Amino acid sequence: MGSLLEELGWRAFIGHEYPAHTGEPVLARDIRRYALAIDDDNPIFFDEAAAKAGRYKGLTAPLNYISWSVGVPGAEKATKDLGEDGLSSFVGIPDIPNAFSLGWVRGGEELEFVKPIYVNDRVTVCGRVTNMSEKIGKSGTLIFVTSEFTYTNQNDELLAKHTVTMIASPRKEQAQ
Amino acid sequence: MSSQVYFDDIAVGQEIPSLTKNVNTVNILMYCAVVWLMDRIHFDNPFAVKRRGLPDVVAPGNMAPDYYVQLLTGWAGDKGRLKKLGVQFRNFMVPGNVLTCGGRITAKTVEDGKGRVDLELWIKNQDGVVCVPGKGVVELPIRAG
Repeated sequence: MGSLLEELGWRAFIGHEYPAHTGEPVLARDIRRYALAIDDDNPIFFDEAAAKAGRYKGLTAPLNYISWSVGVPGAEKATKDLGEDGLSSFVGIPDIPNAFSLGWVRGGEELEFVKPIYVNDRVTVCGRVTNMSEKIGKSGTLIFVTSEFTYTNQNDELLAKHTVTMIASPRKEQAQ
Repeated sequence: MSSQVYFDDIAVGQEIPSLTKNVNTVNILMYCAVVWLMDRIHFDNPFAVKRRGLPDVVAPGNMAPDYYVQLLTGWAGDKGRLKKLGVQFRNFMVPGNVLTCGGRITAKTVEDGKGRVDLELWIKNQDGVVCVPGKGVVELPIRAG
């Protein structure tokens, strides 16, 4: 069996940069709702006085909110423009050919937390594809795409670093 | 306010107090709504089961790092910090799961006068299946001495 990575022409995308993206100001309401969704009742997400009584200068967000704090570029579309799976498009490597011919799952990730996120922060994400590899297993070929991202606030302070590995494999769609 | 754990008082091999999380469709809906995640596998059972061959709707994998953040920042206390977190998504978390989020100390070292603690982490469901294994690095205060 030949290389699926070669066949798809993806190796050229190692080192490819994602367009930098700056989110809208972080909302207290979104932080609160996020904390409720994950059932984390730490008062630093709900009560400004409690946050300030600790080491924070105001309401802060759960650390893992960092990747959501910039929004998901391209995800906000009218229903008619969404795929039947509910996804707007492959939210991933720009310009990569035939990305949607494969199914994608998140394999793993690493986060390094440097500074907290605060209400009204405008977070900018920059990233690039750092590696691609493939493995041929019992159920077919798996492609691993690793990307590294950095998140900074409006004062150019580094908030976090994030490495994400996505796994792509030929779709095994079930009959309807 | 919980009592502060200090670097001096922990040992390699110790387990930290675990956290229990219940996976349910309401929390999944809240999460998807607030981050605008419209992937049907998270809220459309017939699509998830019949079209994608999943056991049920599945929780967004991204909720797992949130559980670890809660586990580790809670343990580290006001004077400690969560520095690094790594996770691997192995098995789906589905509604009805009762998850145990836990960790064991694998190393402790002093770096730049600060206490660094390395942990291996797990999120197991009620059947003992590890859904999302992980690793963490936490900074703990050292007692003034």
